[in-house]
Amino acid sequence: MAESVSEGQSLIADEGLDKGLDRLTPDKIEKTINSILKNETGARLKTYVSTCIHCGLCSEACHVYLSNHDPACTPVGKIKLTIWEILKKKGKVDAPFIRRAAEIAYTECNLCRRCAMYCPFGIDIAYMISIVRRICHRLGVTPHYLQDTAQSHSATFNQMWVKDDEWIDTLQWQEEDAQDEIADLRIPIDKEGADIFYSVIAPEPKFRAQLIYQAAVIFHVAGLNWTMPATPGWDNSDMCMFSGDNEMMGRLKKSHFETAMRLKAKKIVMGECGHAFRSVYDMGNRWLGYSEPPIPIVHSIQLFSELLRDGRIKIAKKYDKTVTLHDPCNTVRGAGLHEMIRMVAHETCEKVVEMHPNREHNYCCNAGGGVINCGPPFKNKRVENNSIKADQLKDAKNRGAETVIAPCHNCHGGLEDIIHTYNLDMELKFLGDIIYECMEKPEE
Amino acid sequence: MHAVYNFVSGPLVWVSFILFFGGSIYRIVSMAQMAKKTDPVVYHFWSLKYAMRSISHWIIPFASENMRKHPAMTIVTFAFHICLFIAPLFLFAHIILFKASWNISWIYLPDTVADVMTWIVIGACIFFLVRRLTQPEVKYVTSFSDYVILAIVAAPFITGFWTYHQWVGFRIMGIAHILSGEIMLAAIPFTRLSHMLFFPFTRGYTGSEFGGVKHARDW
Amino acid sequence: MRSIPMKQRSLKISLIITLIVTLMAAYTVHSQEDVKTVEDDAFSERMRPIVPFLHDEHNENALIEECGVCHHVYDDNGQISEDETSEDNQCSECHLPEKSKNKTELIKYYHNRCKNCHQQRNAGPVMCAECHVKK
Repeated sequence: MAESVSEGQSLIADEGLDKGLDRLTPDKIEKTINSILKNETGARLKTYVSTCIHCGLCSEACHVYLSNHDPACTPVGKIKLTIWEILKKKGKVDAPFIRRAAEIAYTECNLCRRCAMYCPFGIDIAYMISIVRRICHRLGVTPHYLQDTAQSHSATFNQMWVKDDEWIDTLQWQEEDAQDEIADLRIPIDKEGADIFYSVIAPEPKFRAQLIYQAAVIFHVAGLNWTMPATPGWDNSDMCMFSGDNEMMGRLKKSHFETAMRLKAKKIVMGECGHAFRSVYDMGNRWLGYSEPPIPIVHSIQLFSELLRDGRIKIAKKYDKTVTLHDPCNTVRGAGLHEMIRMVAHETCEKVVEMHPNREHNYCCNAGGGVINCGPPFKNKRVENNSIKADQLKDAKNRGAETVIAPCHNCHGGLEDIIHTYNLDMELKFLGDIIYECMEKPEE
Repeated sequence: MHAVYNFVSGPLVWVSFILFFGGSIYRIVSMAQMAKKTDPVVYHFWSLKYAMRSISHWIIPFASENMRKHPAMTIVTFAFHICLFIAPLFLFAHIILFKASWNISWIYLPDTVADVMTWIVIGACIFFLVRRLTQPEVKYVTSFSDYVILAIVAAPFITGFWTYHQWVGFRIMGIAHILSGEIMLAAIPFTRLSHMLFFPFTRGYTGSEFGGVKHARDW
Repeated sequence: MRSIPMKQRSLKISLIITLIVTLMAAYTVHSQEDVKTVEDDAFSERMRPIVPFLHDEHNENALIEECGVCHHVYDDNGQISEDETSEDNQCSECHLPEKSKNKTELIKYYHNRCKNCHQQRNAGPVMCAECHVKK
């Protein structure tokens, strides 16, 4: 059974959390908490807390609890250990409490919102955990690795400390590589008035550059008029949204939107990432005062399904291994794209088997919500706390699935660790991987 | 005994009605006003259509995934809530009191039906109690106040049942019945029993977000 | 299965018949002293046990001498008539003129007559089970 932080101190050392504690004083804790409670929360938090009847039915929702059966890891258990205590003590909690609350909020909850669909009252538990993260952020008690990505966001406006010239260099490198395959292929940089402004998350240029290559091939073959920017604003990811740094979350989104607007693009298309999508249509846009993004935004899942539907991409030979589908929380429970994922999978693959439960009910990868970004210290816990996902994958495997399609970067990371740790021997693919592999390409 | 009876069946009834109706209106209105200030997002994204879509999936037995996962709990909780409302509101003895006091009356249940419903409520309360004591994930989040709330709800039914069947000490139980009923009514707006008031709003808002913004089901 | 012998069965039947006849006699031929319960023909089916009421004893204890306190008659002005009473009428004749009407109407008058007086005087039963005693 994986270690939870329900009783006493966690055994997991984290520089960010531990050093953060040293800077705390009782007075600072109390003032910070109460300032957030007073200025940033209100009716919703109050109603949620006074409506919860402590029935525990949300337990069924949480992959962490379903994996380790620790009652402290049910959604309501996590709220008991954080929000209830904070409200009961009116912010007069001690530093070890904050340490525990931070570890729970950052590493034992993915904000996947499955519990909101299992609570009879629809209480948004993820919202309350976000408040805990906000408090921890303001107190300076954030996991070291997660904070590093947030620092990178602040300094560079991308998540991975990618330098401005490194970005452009990567695009040109991918363009040149792709030209070996399709001679007239371009990755149009900073082109004004394109139909599509394509944005990705920083890990793509950093260590999954082939995804940009593949996207370029797909867009080229489909004959799309597209571009990527030469300036910051190209990264659509947003770890600040998860660290509790709302101010920075807003600035990142603003830069993303405004870069697309500067190029007078008709719409933004985002790569296969889930949290980035959440940040533009749900969280960051609202922080900036937009109920919807100020420029139309389409996820790759949707773009791919439209390209296949309209025959702009044709499949030469279907992917012949049996695939199963992982539904990412932010594009499925968060954006309802599940049928599009299936449409693309069925158009491109010989055989698709479903995981159960699926669609909105699919189990989280336990990597999202910034959890994987908390880095190596929490990796073992993260993987052990998702044995239910391993069971789910194993079941699909028993029904023939050799490949898992997960159209989300975080899910990829999480599932990769699960597949490896539980010796599942399954292959992981993005939708883009499959399309690129199976599509008709111009002959040389 | 007359003085006590007159008090609990007179002024205290008014006190409990005022606390219940006044308190409920106060809680809802103050929540709505506070939300306007602190959470305008709720108003902005509220959608009657999606709120109703979500609510309907959670007030119909087994219409949501989680209800299907917990069939016993679903049956008990629906039976409990239905009987909790129907039995007292359509109890012949209560209607006679309304008729005598305010000259209003409505349809009533045969006493045997009301008796069975009372059994169901008491039985459900025992089920909830056992659940709290034995299910680790429920026990973990159970505090003393949860038992108090359960007792507040069970008390009017136990005492009412006792009084109706005229068991020994039914006079004291009758007084206790009236009093506990008043305590329950008064407690609804000011304890977590207020989930009765807030259910449509919390569920409706989540339904609105899921349906209107996230294009997903929440049941 | 064991059947009851013929002789025993007829004995039982005759006993039951005797009982019914006796009860009916007691029901129809009664004088004031015999009033032991509160009854009204309008109550076809009963939701609660019949209320025992010893007429003379009650009025002695309660110091009620005027028949019109209970057996009142209203005059044309809606006032209780001082020189008229209604011992020979059932309450329902005035208080529930249409028999089909909601019986709670008549129950209300009965309850208010008994209970309100008891409450005012702090004497006598006021709670349901104190009057509607289960046998």
